[in-house]
Amino acid sequence: MLKLLKELLRTGDATVKYPFAPLPVKPGVRGKPEFAGQRCIACAACTIACPATALTMATDPAAGTRTWQLDLGRCIFCARCEEVCPTGAIVLSDNFELSVRKRDDLLMTAEFTLTNCRTCETPFAPAKEVGYVIALLVRAGMPEEDAEGRRAQLETCPGCRRHADVARISRTSLVRLAGLPA
Amino acid sequence: MRELAPGAITESEEIAKLKEKLQRDIRRSAYVFRVDCGGCNGCEIEIFAAISPVFDAERFGIKLVASPRHADILLYTGAMTRAMRLPAIRTYHATPDPKIVISYGACGCSGGIFHDLYCVWGGTEPVVPVDLYIPGCPPTPAATIYGFALALGLLEQKLKTRHQVQGRDDAVVPAHPRIPLRMRIDLEREARRMAGYRQGRIIVERFMRFLESEDPIPFAERLAAYLAHEDDPRLTEIVARLTDVAIQRGLP
Repeated sequence: MLKLLKELLRTGDATVKYPFAPLPVKPGVRGKPEFAGQRCIACAACTIACPATALTMATDPAAGTRTWQLDLGRCIFCARCEEVCPTGAIVLSDNFELSVRKRDDLLMTAEFTLTNCRTCETPFAPAKEVGYVIALLVRAGMPEEDAEGRRAQLETCPGCRRHADVARISRTSLVRLAGLPA
Repeated sequence: MRELAPGAITESEEIAKLKEKLQRDIRRSAYVFRVDCGGCNGCEIEIFAAISPVFDAERFGIKLVASPRHADILLYTGAMTRAMRLPAIRTYHATPDPKIVISYGACGCSGGIFHDLYCVWGGTEPVVPVDLYIPGCPPTPAATIYGFALALGLLEQKLKTRHQVQGRDDAVVPAHPRIPLRMRIDLEREARRMAGYRQGRIIVERFMRFLESEDPIPFAERLAAYLAHEDDPRLTEIVARLTDVAIQRGLP
């Protein structure tokens, strides 16, 4: 009897105190993805990487917005979004207390404004993404005024850019065919 | 939300009232019956981990039972496959009213990674009315305990639906302004090559913070102190490689 009591004292209490006390979590635990909207450029890399399509993006051309959505009910906490995010806007925290009573509470959305194409006036790219590209060009060593000079090109949608290119190339080749000075 | 499956159950008002009473009064005697609607068994393993002595769900009177006729709580795991739709409905009817239905795991909550498969109805919700969702793939034992505590009214729900709208002149500047872009790309590439995407990123971010910091103590000394503190030969090797890359790219 005494031996047993001694053994019990030695082994102690194996059960964790949770939920009456916070549970210490190990480093590297993958919990709820924390999203910092102010760091996001709405490039949609995470929505392409997400294997469970928990992350989705929908464009509303009429309102000129793009809405990012995270469905925690579908998330498998693989951290692919964290890996591909170029700005570190999404990071997996160690928060595991995610149970909810309503399905809608598992959803998280963020709305971004789109830039209009300078030629056809249709919204096509997130304004923050264009700004980030210019900032990145500057960081890569391009003089600031040159990078700003590219803004007109960056704020043109791919379709309009292609039209402009075709028009420009055909003009120059006609000039060359006719043997005229460019 | 997906459309309801044929034979989907809707709750009457009377039952909803009874259920409220149940949630108030159930306290510490909850018998749980598990319905696997087509999962990968990961959720089952975590449920059994949650009733193990370490997490000990029996502290709250939670007990797994072998028959739905004994149950107060139904735990639906896995995506609702076509073959399991009728058994899931029959289990629901076999359980005495009022009962609490919990949707367990990413597949149970929404169909998870299988949500658009030809052979599933989505999660539990298109077939059976759900009272509580426990997301996770699979939910850890602690997340399971939290879910049960929520169902029994011991804890409050922490998550709320959230909507952010971009500010008028929000702009994002590239991180690490003091490190040349070329060096940063090479460092990130090497870290990913050595330690994989997620850990590589964590290691390289910390390394670049060391590089950038304006601490009067020299970079090499700070790094050595950090490595000695971490005492991990794998980390030491990766950081040595990163330092080589930084030197190649012109670290003074």
